Amino acid sequence: MTLLLDVQELSVEIGNKSLLSSISVQFQQGDYLCVLGPNGAGKSTLLKVLMGIVSSSAGEIKLNQQPLASLSQKELARQISYVPQAHGHQLNFSVIDFIKMARYAHHFAFSDWSKEDQNALEHAINITNTEDFLYRQMTTLSGGEAQRVMIAAAVCQQSPLLLLDEPTSFLDPHHQVEVHQLIQNLNQHHGISIIEVSHDLNHAAQHSHHILALKHGKVLWHGPSSELLQASHLHALYDQQFVFATHPQTGALVALPSEMTQ
Amino acid sequence: MTARNTLILIALATLLILVASPYLGLSIGNADIQHHILTQLRIPRVLFAFIAGAGLALCGMVFQAMFHNPLATPFTLGVASGGSLGAAIYVYLGFSFTLFGFDGGTFAAFLGSLIAISFVYSISRYQSGFSPETLLLTGVAISFFFSSLILFTQYLSDLTDSFQILRWLMGSLTTVGYRDILQLLPFVALCTAVILWLRRELNLLMAGDDIALSRGVSVQYIRYTLFFVTSLCVGAIVALCGPIGFVGMMVPHICRLLIGSDHRWLTPASLLFGGSFLIVCDTISRLIIAPAEIPVGVITTLLGGPFFLWLLIKSRSHTA
Repeated sequence: MTLLLDVQELSVEIGNKSLLSSISVQFQQGDYLCVLGPNGAGKSTLLKVLMGIVSSSAGEIKLNQQPLASLSQKELARQISYVPQAHGHQLNFSVIDFIKMARYAHHFAFSDWSKEDQNALEHAINITNTEDFLYRQMTTLSGGEAQRVMIAAAVCQQSPLLLLDEPTSFLDPHHQVEVHQLIQNLNQHHGISIIEVSHDLNHAAQHSHHILALKHGKVLWHGPSSELLQASHLHALYDQQFVFATHPQTGALVALPSEMTQ
Repeated sequence: MTARNTLILIALATLLILVASPYLGLSIGNADIQHHILTQLRIPRVLFAFIAGAGLALCGMVFQAMFHNPLATPFTLGVASGGSLGAAIYVYLGFSFTLFGFDGGTFAAFLGSLIAISFVYSISRYQSGFSPETLLLTGVAISFFFSSLILFTQYLSDLTDSFQILRWLMGSLTTVGYRDILQLLPFVALCTAVILWLRRELNLLMAGDDIALSRGVSVQYIRYTLFFVTSLCVGAIVALCGPIGFVGMMVPHICRLLIGSDHRWLTPASLLFGGSFLIVCDTISRLIIAPAEIPVGVITTLLGGPFFLWLLIKSRSHTA
């Protein structure tokens, strides 16, 4: 395995408020990392720093041994793509136009739509199963459809690393499963490395490879996903007792928040 | 209808307006005088109106895309007032200079516009992002602030300067010969070229800063470039024609409804529509109480006020 991302002593401050402090984490190519933690732990901020949306106040990030700060935004976008949390902007585009716009990082001011662009587009549409609503307006899509389109656009960008910020938070169970399967498929069969911010413990434990647990802007725990579902880990992370059961279908361990107050 | 066909229709309508409008209301005098009126007054005026209208519409389109808000235009955000103040101070101080053949008033207005946009931008940024309310209220506050400074400048001026400032503040396209056109054209052309160059970036900016950044747009750099060229364009228009309101808000909005939000099509559509819109407004202003004229800014504002309210109510019912 080769080292894709190396974060050393990363800190982010906005105003006087410290959002992340001294985060160090390494991320291998092909890995699937879930970032967990209570609300306000700095999970989204971490993704935004990696994507160049928020700037760090200290520390260093290296992507393929290159300092992130030395890359232009376009070079960065060819390496990393990002699916933000469901957001309030009205996207006044047709689905296909929106996906096509993701080829920006591969274009110059007057470059034409190339064969390579077309292949990337068709590939993204196939994987995400979005061909049925390509000509609809983004504003008319349901939550599940919109999320698939957002992922399709990120795939069309052809970056080896994909960042996802709570991709299933606002979806019903059926669409949660659908989107999770899509993400796993991207990771397992298309060689895309994934960093996903999530609140879904059981999904993270079962499907991701590693966990980064953040609390109050600091790393609380970092390790393989198989070790996540332990009472002590979860209690420390969420200040909440959990009970454990086995999934009747898969036999996997699942965690459920305890009803009893401590 | 496809975007291409819509654009062709807009282009044909523009051509018709360009050709027909100089002849409207041309009835006095003999053939010689008519010829003189046509070549020295009417045709320059129509061209002047076209260039100014196109520039205002394009700048409005850019602001709407950058701030993700149909109500954000150089006019509503106080940029035009900043330009007006610059030009008013230039008149008041009474020194006149030219730079590369361009009138000093243009540069004074550009400076004023640039200061205003910097204000709006830094204040709304300080207030954590561009909430539409913060942005518009900042714009309103800055407009008022600059307007009172203009009034103050006017108060300090003597009667002639004061009248000159007042007349110019109403917005007018009265011009003789082709000098003013040559003063305006380079700025609008530069602005148009930059906007066409950045059409993909504008599309991505409309999707929000996070998405634009994650696709590889250097948002900050693009935004500063666009602030610079639109300030230059608005400054030149304001210095020469006065603050002609609401063209930059109505035209791009109507064009979006006609042709969609893709800036590859929206840019030429706004340019053509904006140009012909201002010609039509100017023709009305010159014919409605002929032989006298009302300033064209009065007409555009009379149309724009209700349009602004309609947009405001519509966006409210969307967010509610």
